[in-house]
This record gives sequence, C-alpha cells and structure tokens, in this order.
Amino acid sequence: MNQEAVAGKRRTILAVAVVAIVAIAIVASVFAFKAFAPEEDATVVIVDDYNRTVELPGIPDRIVSVAPTPTELLFAVGAGDHVIGVDDYSDYPAAALNITKVGSYTLNIEAIIGLTPDLIVTSDLVPLAQLDQLQDQGIPYVIFAARTLGDVVDDVRLAGNITGHTEQAETLAQSLQGRIDAVTSKTLADGVSTPKVYVEYYPFWTFGPGSFGDHLISLAGGANIAAETSSEYPLLTSEYVISQDPDVIVYTIGVMTTTTADEIASRPGWDTITAVTNEDIYSMDDNLVSRYGPRVVDGLEQLAKIIHPELFS
Amino acid sequence: MAWMKVARDGTPDGARRRSYLLMLSLVGLLVVSVMVTTLVGTLGPIGPGDPERISFREALEAIFVGHGDWPSYYSAVFWDVRIPRVLLAGLVGAALACAGTAMQGVFRNSMADPFIIGVSSGAAVGAASAGLIGLTVAIGAFAAPLLAFISALLTVLVVYRMGVIRGKVHVDTLLLSGVAISSFLGAIVSFLIYFAGQDYHQLIPWLLGSLYLSRWEYVYIAAVPVVVGAVIIYIYGRQLDVLLLGEETAHNLGVDAERLKKTMLAVAALMTAAAVAFTGIIGFVGLIIPHMMRMFVGANHRFLVPASTLFGASFLIWADAISRSVIPAQELPVGVITALCGGPFFLYLLRMSKSRGDGN
Amino acid sequence: MAIRVAVSGLSFSFGEKKVLKDITFETRDGEFLGLMGPNGSGKTTLLRCITEYLKTDGRAVLVDMKPIHTLPPRELARIFAVVPQSTVTDFPFTAYDIVMMGRVPHAKGMLSGETEADVKAVRGAMDRTDTWRFASRPFTELSGGERQRVIIARAIAQEPKALLLDEPTVYLDISGQFEIMDLVKRLNREHGITVIAVLHEVNLAARYCDRIALLSDGRLETIGSPEEVLTPETIRGVYGVDVIVRRDPFTHAVYVMPRPSPSAVQRHGTRVHVLCGGGTGGPVMKLLLDSGYSVSTGVLNVLDSDYQNANDLHLPVVAEVPFSQISPEAHAENMKLIDRAEYVIVSPFPVGPGNISNLEAAARALASGKKVFVIAAPAGHGIDFVGGRADSLIKGLISSGAVEVAGADELPGLLKVNR
Repeated sequence: MNQEAVAGKRRTILAVAVVAIVAIAIVASVFAFKAFAPEEDATVVIVDDYNRTVELPGIPDRIVSVAPTPTELLFAVGAGDHVIGVDDYSDYPAAALNITKVGSYTLNIEAIIGLTPDLIVTSDLVPLAQLDQLQDQGIPYVIFAARTLGDVVDDVRLAGNITGHTEQAETLAQSLQGRIDAVTSKTLADGVSTPKVYVEYYPFWTFGPGSFGDHLISLAGGANIAAETSSEYPLLTSEYVISQDPDVIVYTIGVMTTTTADEIASRPGWDTITAVTNEDIYSMDDNLVSRYGPRVVDGLEQLAKIIHPELFS
Repeated sequence: MAWMKVARDGTPDGARRRSYLLMLSLVGLLVVSVMVTTLVGTLGPIGPGDPERISFREALEAIFVGHGDWPSYYSAVFWDVRIPRVLLAGLVGAALACAGTAMQGVFRNSMADPFIIGVSSGAAVGAASAGLIGLTVAIGAFAAPLLAFISALLTVLVVYRMGVIRGKVHVDTLLLSGVAISSFLGAIVSFLIYFAGQDYHQLIPWLLGSLYLSRWEYVYIAAVPVVVGAVIIYIYGRQLDVLLLGEETAHNLGVDAERLKKTMLAVAALMTAAAVAFTGIIGFVGLIIPHMMRMFVGANHRFLVPASTLFGASFLIWADAISRSVIPAQELPVGVITALCGGPFFLYLLRMSKSRGDGN
Repeated sequence: MAIRVAVSGLSFSFGEKKVLKDITFETRDGEFLGLMGPNGSGKTTLLRCITEYLKTDGRAVLVDMKPIHTLPPRELARIFAVVPQSTVTDFPFTAYDIVMMGRVPHAKGMLSGETEADVKAVRGAMDRTDTWRFASRPFTELSGGERQRVIIARAIAQEPKALLLDEPTVYLDISGQFEIMDLVKRLNREHGITVIAVLHEVNLAARYCDRIALLSDGRLETIGSPEEVLTPETIRGVYGVDVIVRRDPFTHAVYVMPRPSPSAVQRHGTRVHVLCGGGTGGPVMKLLLDSGYSVSTGVLNVLDSDYQNANDLHLPVVAEVPFSQISPEAHAENMKLIDRAEYVIVSPFPVGPGNISNLEAAARALASGKKVFVIAAPAGHGIDFVGGRADSLIKGLISSGAVEVAGADELPGLLKVNR
C-alpha cells in the first residue's frame, strides 16, 4: 500500500471515530440531563364542591369561567389575568366585561375549545353535559357550589388552590370570615330579637327553606316568614304574607325587576302589614344575594343592617 | 213532581223549560261558588292545615261586620285580597267561555278557542316585554296588563287583515294566519325568555295563567268589556245559530254573515284580551266550557251563550280556589288546574264519539 | 200571496267566465217552474242571482216590479225561502231548532226571542211536513229524506211568497224523492206559493212542473210546458242524447226514455221483418236495430204498443184499425215487406181472430223460401186465443223448417249478415 493511502485511511478512521464519539456524547448527555434534571412537582390536585377530584398537570394558565360566581372568585384572589373567557352574565368586576364571551347555560363549545384553556370553572347552575363534552376534549372542569357562607369562604380558598394564589386567597378568606363573624356575633347573640323578614326577588317569589337566601336571613338575625313553606323558591299567596305580618320587607333589584317600594306598599291588603305602615321597605342589589362569591358577605352586612339597624349604626 | 215531568218531557217545549231551569241553577251555582270560595285560602276557614286558621265565625264577621276580636288584617284578607280575586276569576272565566262560544260559532268548529286569532301570543309578547321597558316603574301595576292588552289587540288586527280579503272574512285563511302569527310570536316570547336567562321566573305564572295579582281596580276595568261583550254576543245568538248552517243559508235567512263575523270576532277578541291582560293565558276554559254546555242545552245560542258564560265563571272561580289553597302558603298557576281538567275531558270526548260509532 | 219574479237581461260572470248570458223570463202566479239544463248550464247560478246571494246589475231581477237590491236582506228572506241540496252541520241542533231558524227574518229586533207567532208558525210548518214527531231529535241523526223535510218545514216557517229549491232530491232515494216533490207540489197547489226548482231529473220535472225553463250553456234555450219543452229534438240539441217521449199512463205527464240503437251503430242493410204484437216485438226490434239490421214490421193495430214502438223507432210498419180483423189490403202490404226482407222473425205474440193472418203470412214466407225464426213463448204463457189454431200453425211452421229459438238474444248469432 502507498504511504499516502495509508495516511488517508487513518484520517478516515479518525473522522468516523470523532463523529461516533460526538454522537454518543450527545445522546448520553440528553439521557444524563433527563436523568439528573431536578424533579418538578407537576400535578395540582383539586377536590371541588361536588367532591370531584381533578388532577391538573400544573397551575392552569388559561382559565375559562362559565358562570358569574367563579369569575368573581377568580378575580377576588388576584387571578383575573388568567381568565381568558367568561359567560355572558359575568359582569363583575368591570374587567370581566372585556373578556371574550363564551355563552351561558348553552355554551359555545367551539369558542371554548378555540381559546385552548387549561381549565374550566363553573357553578352548579350550568348543565354539566356540555362540560363533560369538553372534558372529553381534554379540558377539565371544577365546580363551585356553595350552599352556606362557610362554603363561600372555602370556595375562596379553593380558588386560591386552583390558581396558585393561595396567599391572597387565604388573606381574603380570613377577612371574609372576620366580617361574617362580626355580623353574626351581634345578630345571633343572646337576647337579640329576630324580626320577621320577607325578602322577594320577584313579586311574591321568595327564598324558602334550604335556599341560600334563607340562610342569609337567619345569619342576618331575621326570621324568614317563608321558612316553613315546602319549596326552596316558593311563590307565596298574598294573604299568607299579610297574615305573617313581616316587620321588614326587602326586595332585590335585578335585570327584569319592576318592583318599587311604592308598588309593594300599594298591594291590596298590605296596608295592614307592619313593614308597610312603618315604611320599612328596602331594596338590595340582587347580585349580592344570588352570587355566592365574596360579595355575598356584602349582602349579609347590608341585610343585617336593614334588619338590625340598632346593632349597626 | 213538576220538575220530573219537565225532565222527561221530550217535546221542544220541555227541552226549553229544562234549559231555563238549568240556567237558573247556573246562576245559583255562581252565587254559591262566590260565597263558598271567598272562604277558601291559605288562612282558611277552608284551606290547607297550616298556618293559623280563621274560623267561620271570624270570617263572616270580617266580611260583614268589619271588626271583632281578631287581627285587623282579617278584613283586609277578605275585602282586599280574596273578594276581588274571586270576582276577577268569575269575570275572566265568563269572558273566556263566552268568547269561546262565539269563536266556535264563527269558525263553525267546536275545536276553536278564543286564542286562535292570536290574542294569547300577542299578549304574551306584551307581558314579556313589560319588564324590559321602563314604563312599568311609572304606572306600576297597570303596566303589564296595559302592554299585554295593546299588543294582543295589535296582533289580532294583523291576523284579521290577513284573513279578510276584499271585505269578506275567510275563516279558513283567518285560522291559518292566526296559527302562523301565534307561532311566530311564540318564538319571540321564547327568545325573550331565553334572553332573560334565569330572570324568566316571574313570567311563569303569567304564561300559565294566574290570578295572584288580582286587585279591585282590575275588577272594575275588566267588568266593562266582559259584561258588555257577553251581552252583545247573547243578542246575536239567533244569528249565530244561522251562521252555523253556512254562509249561503245565512244570506237566505236575511243574516249579514260578514257583519256578524266581524262583530263576533271583534267582541270576542276584546273580551279575551281584557281577560288575558290581567291573568295571563288560562287555557282550556274557552274550549271546554262551550263544548260541555252544548251537551246539556244543545246548540241553540240563546241558551248556550248564557250557560257557557255562567258556568265558565263558576268553573274558573273553583279552579282558582284550588290553585291558591292546595299547597300551603303557595300559589299554583290556575292554568295548571285548567289544563289538568282539559286532558281527561278530551279523553272522555273521544270515548263518547267512539261509542256513538265511527262514521257517524 | 203570489208574487211575480221577473228576470230580464240577466248576465253573470265569475271573473272572465260568462256563466249566464242575457236570461229573460217571468214567473206566473203560483206556478211550479222547473229550471233544467245539463251540468254547467248555470241553473244554480241563476237561482243564486234570484236570491241575491250573487250580486247582479240594477234591474236584472225584479220582484213585484222592484229590483231586489232595493229590498233589505230580511225582507228578501220573507219573500224567498231556499231549500238547498243538503244541509250539513256538526252541531247538535234539534229539528225544532232548525225550523225555528226560519223565523229569523221575522224577528222584530235583535233582542226578540221566540214569540208566540214563531212557535205557532214552526208547529204548523212541522205538522204540514210530518216532521213534528222528531222535533226534539238531533238534526244530524235524521235520514236524508227526513232532513230535507225539516228544511222544507223551515222554508214554510219563513212564510215565503216563493219557494226556491236547488236540486232538493239529489241525495235522496226514490221514496224520498217522491216524498219531497209531492210535499212541495201540495204547498204549491194548496197555498199558491210560487215554486222555482232546479231539477236534474227530467222525468221528475215533467211530472211536477207547470213550466220548464231549459238552460244551455248559460242561455235560456226555451221555456214552456213540459210537452212543449221536452221534445226529442230539443233534448238532442241541449243534452246531446236521443230520447223517445211517452206519456205517463196515469198522470199523462210526459216522460222520456233513451232511444234504442244510437245512430252510431253501423247499418249493414240486412232486412228483417218482425211479426209481432202485444208489446212482444219491442225487445226484438231493439235487439235487431242495435245489431245493425234494418227492421220492418206488421200488421199491427194502431193501439198495439208494438205499433207505438215501431213508430218511435221510425220503422216501416203496416197498420190496421183496432178491434177488427186484418184486412186483405193490410195483409198484402205485409207480404210485400216480407218479400223485401231476408229473414222473418215470429215473436210470441198473443194470437186472436184479429191477427191470425200474421201467422199465415209466416207460413207463406217459409213456403217461398224465406228463413223463418220462431221465438218460443215463455213457459206457461198461452198465446193461442183462437181455439188451438195458432198453436198448430206454429207447430206447422217449425215442422216445415222454421227455426225455433228460446229467446230473441239467440237471433244475431243465427242470422247471417249481408255484407
């Protein structure tokens, strides 16, 4: 063999060896990197108000809320920036109005999928079938379903867990609890009267036993005249209200409300009612008693002040 | 006994005497119904168990004397809540049954009811929109009825224009246009309900029909079109008989069929709109009552119109008494009660017509 | 009671289509006028113009010289009472209710109910129509004839001056038809109520009407008594059908029946002579004519129904005076016709001294070589009234070569056609 040929052969072998070593090195380092990378605690485990366990790969970055209450909760714990889609009725806080709308009750499935959310949050008023549909698409959902003020405080913490804003949530939860206790310590104290209260959200429609409204009235130190009826949201007969003779009448104001204090006072036979003769007819924002988020504590405070003005001056 | 003789008298004379007797008893039934149902309600004396019941003595005192050893609101319950409600129920029941009789005559069809020319769907649009218009704050308790009344009449006008060709009322066209317009407006109402979301709650009693918002003012206002309308329809009774045999027969007997149809339609529409404006859409009364009365007094309108009117009043008075007392402290829309009666009634009719033999 | 209805220059169109063209006629006091014509000739439209259900120009229809549009509808309803073809309703009106509706034109005001006069009128009307016995029964449960009687009762209760009927018997069976027409005729005669009736049945009209107005394609073709109007020529012109007109033997009213052998049948010229009488020849003549033969007959006395049949069919016939023997002249004429014919048919006619020479003619025909066919008499029917001579003559015919057939229908098969 020629000397130059021998040198050429040796150069080839060297080149191949270098390539092989480099390749092996690359592969090895990839493995090493994977093997020796710091372990991330990736999954977030949530137990929602329906006792459903939802596992998320991480803190959700993109959240769609399909009900007003969860929207308020998310914003309240400071996670409003992560809310990329809301239902048509989410109007609080004001920032929510600018977020993409995805429908209500009947949701715009395509729009939601198009937003590529990591998580959906809902209340228990939205039909779950659609959410199950989205779950099949790989988008999990969490249900907020508070039935008492205590549940609301827990929901604040739940919102914190979901979004990772646990500190902010905890602060808020404690503040809310504090405000609740401040009210109930006065309204439920020994010797405090329980004036008869009639609350209506539409003419003659009231909160019956088991409803959140009824719960609020009790905590606010009132005796709900509809507490003994058989439905959660009964339509009362006029004569029943008259016979119960409430001391305080509260009507809530919502989108379709046409009631006024004058209208209530002029109802046939209601001139015999104590609340009417004493002009103790008050109004409240409907959202303060129907959205079970932080604002419901505002509702409690307002209601307590209406029922027990002597305790909250 | 004289009345048994009348009962068995097969001559036309006997039939007429029987009809007169029936009308007398219907008047009696109405009076008794008013008196008895005034005592029915959440607070009793006739009513569900709880809460504290007013006793019969107290009730009579509250109605006739005005004061006694009972809470002052007892009087209010009877005079401000129950009595106007019972009277309004009577007026509305009478209006629907009377208008239904007239409609069945005009359309020559015993399946016609007062709503087929669009009164109910028109009124529904008015009532559904009432909440969306600020008007209601200004005139309060009269806003929804007023809007419902106006939109009901506007709807009838539209349906009428479509069904009247060159001055002649074509009942088939009228019927179809009524169906078409009602469907269309029904869709609008559904949309409004959907749009209002969970706020549709307060429309439910109206859409199913309820007397829970009754007051004396409604009674005074409704009494005028109902009473006047019933009298007018009664006066045209003989002509309605003739119309039922066909347009040509009507002409040959000197009856102006076109004027008769237009008058009956206008009066029936006004009566129905007046009723529906205050209580919402109470179904079946306008359909069932004339049907039933025809089985007792025959098709002769001089007896049929008063009988339907009187029995319609009693019927609704009782239906409403049930609706406000069957669940303690709560209201059931009276339309639910009338619909519950409607189903079995039609099954009964079906059985009767089958037993008479097919092809009859 | 009677009124004059005068129609002059009445024309009516439905849109572009002219249904009535310039119709003019006047009713006579208390007459029974029939309106007839083929389908689509405008009869019902004419009636509706008279009742003003269809509006016409100014003076087209006059009642007692007054244009009908000057009369208020209720007054018109007191003049005219209309009985339509049928009355249908789903509603449970009793017969009494229906009749009482006839009193609506007499109501004094809107509020007036049933007065004494109304009740009396209704009762009277229902008595006259024999409908009182189902006064309380629902109208819908009555038979067709009973329903029409109730409607007529209603018309009577209207106390009209004229009764207008639109094909009132169309949905009735034969007993119902006569029931209704007899009733209407009685009202017409006994109370002088003018009747104008649209009738589709020619013979019914001929039987009941004083005059018939015949419409054709919207025009009044002719108006006159049934004899004047119902002629074969007129009927062929209006209805396009060949008829024979006869007289009802009891009422002498004319009646029409279809003419046998429509002219469409091809005549092949083969001549047949039929010896007959007593009506036995009619079916034979019809059968032969329908099969295209030329037929002659004789000798028949002028009162014999076969003579009338032959005349109606315009057949050559040898006639003889009634109640006498066949004269030699007639017999000779008969033989002439027989000579011209190829075949001779002997129908089972009753033979008496008057017409026995017809059998002798058959024998002569046979002897001269003509083909003779003898139709057997139906069993049990004796046709011999000459003491046995007819029977033996016939036996003689058969034994001499005449062909005996059981019935006339066998003939066309046996007769050869002369092409």
